Amino acid sequence: MTGHADTGSHTIGAPGTSRRYLHSLWLLSARDLKVRYATSWLGYLWSVLDPLVMSGIYWFVFTVVFHRDSVGEEPYIVFLISGLLAWVWFNAAVTDFTRAFNKDAKLVRSTAIPRSIWVNRIVLSKGLEFLFALPVLVLFAVFAGAEVNWAILLFPLGVLLQAVLLVGLGLLVAPLCVLFTDLERTTRLILRALFYGSPVIYGLADLPGGLTSVMAFNPLAGIFTLYRVGFFPETWDPSAVLLSAAMCLVFLALGALMFRRLERPLLKEL
Amino acid sequence: MEALTDETAIEVAGLGVRFRRNRRGRRSIKDLFADASRRTRPGEFWALRDVSFRVRPGESIGVVGRNGQGKSTLLKLVAGVLLPDEGSVQVNAGVAPLIELTGGFVGDLTVRENVRLTAGLHGMSKAEVARRYDGIIAFAELEEFQETPYKHLSNGMKVRLAFSVVSQLDEPILLVDEVLAVGDRAFRAKCYRRIDELLAEGRTLFFVSHNERDLRRFCTRGLYIRDHALVLDGPIGEVIDRYNADNPT
Repeated sequence: MTGHADTGSHTIGAPGTSRRYLHSLWLLSARDLKVRYATSWLGYLWSVLDPLVMSGIYWFVFTVVFHRDSVGEEPYIVFLISGLLAWVWFNAAVTDFTRAFNKDAKLVRSTAIPRSIWVNRIVLSKGLEFLFALPVLVLFAVFAGAEVNWAILLFPLGVLLQAVLLVGLGLLVAPLCVLFTDLERTTRLILRALFYGSPVIYGLADLPGGLTSVMAFNPLAGIFTLYRVGFFPETWDPSAVLLSAAMCLVFLALGALMFRRLERPLLKEL
Repeated sequence: MEALTDETAIEVAGLGVRFRRNRRGRRSIKDLFADASRRTRPGEFWALRDVSFRVRPGESIGVVGRNGQGKSTLLKLVAGVLLPDEGSVQVNAGVAPLIELTGGFVGDLTVRENVRLTAGLHGMSKAEVARRYDGIIAFAELEEFQETPYKHLSNGMKVRLAFSVVSQLDEPILLVDEVLAVGDRAFRAKCYRRIDELLAEGRTLFFVSHNERDLRRFCTRGLYIRDHALVLDGPIGEVIDRYNADNPT
């Protein structure tokens, strides 16, 4: 051992250490962001534009066309943006999971870094884009006159739960999409349905009777509640949040379990 | 204590890996839950089976065999980019793998970005990459192409870059899959000098090649893979003679 011990001095941590893991994770996430923001701030505009345009459309449809008065909370535009920014993070990450390994097949085939990095780097880079987009929410909250209360401190908890959920889903979805090619399209379809099946454009309390408790099993319901309670204290629903946290952990455990099983066939398939 | 006096760089025991014969064959969800037992399912074959050997630090090993017999698969298993279905591979030191022509570079990124990314993924710190960057580019003779997207390089340039980066890694074990055949003579001579240097430093070399001269030049020990199994493990001269006897020209 002694003959090679000194060669480690030029590297960041030994293979298998968490320092090395984070180094590789950051390297790949930073590459993603660099590609995204390569053309200076037009890149930034893109990551904000998508949720903004969607918010604008839903705001127009529901407040101007349908004269909504019982769905969501006031100001509705803040209600929408607080949900849509997080939805875009979720949607973009899950969409990228479907190609997490195929897109970088060459690198995966020739670099023996822990395979979960290929999933986690998507969660991280999309999560950073989400955080970078938050000033937009602040801006709209200020101009629409939303009142902020102390529960806004729960916001980071929402970010954490969503990251846990995404890591679990990614460990599940990414390898399955390599093994079963149809799954890529199926996932996109499920995502589209899930948009309306999650309290993004409406609130958990807007659902009729029994549906509220069914919806609480959707982990996004509790996560969005955490994002919104700082602006709309009346949306607070502790049981939904607890259930959602439990669901996130279930997904994480399931993902970790399945990933260990799927890693071997996955590498052969690339 | 015996482990200290009798060091092992790579230990391969009862290694086996199985592939599907027909890549387009349908895969059922049920397969995932089936136990990875020793039985072979229809449509699958063992790309390697019952391979066992031990490599001491500083040894240089040449892997010999016809195409499609599992040489590259063995290298991938040692590099850790493929996981065995049976047995185990234990590598007790870092590995610098030169196992694909591409060296794992990304087509859309420039040469400069690729060098940073690949070296970084192998654990080189930012400062260290910066320190060695000029040397890597100079060795690959790509000074004019630093901002060129990797996909626009010629095959020869790609190999030069891959060899240059990988041979700069401070890993004690170097894996080389027959990529060097692509480069021109002058560059090959340069690579050989570099491999000699690395061997003199005491690195362990794992070398796959069809070139008898290269094998005899670098390797002291040979592994002969035939029919997806290790049939001979001995001095390189003996292994090559056996291979030639099996495959008369």
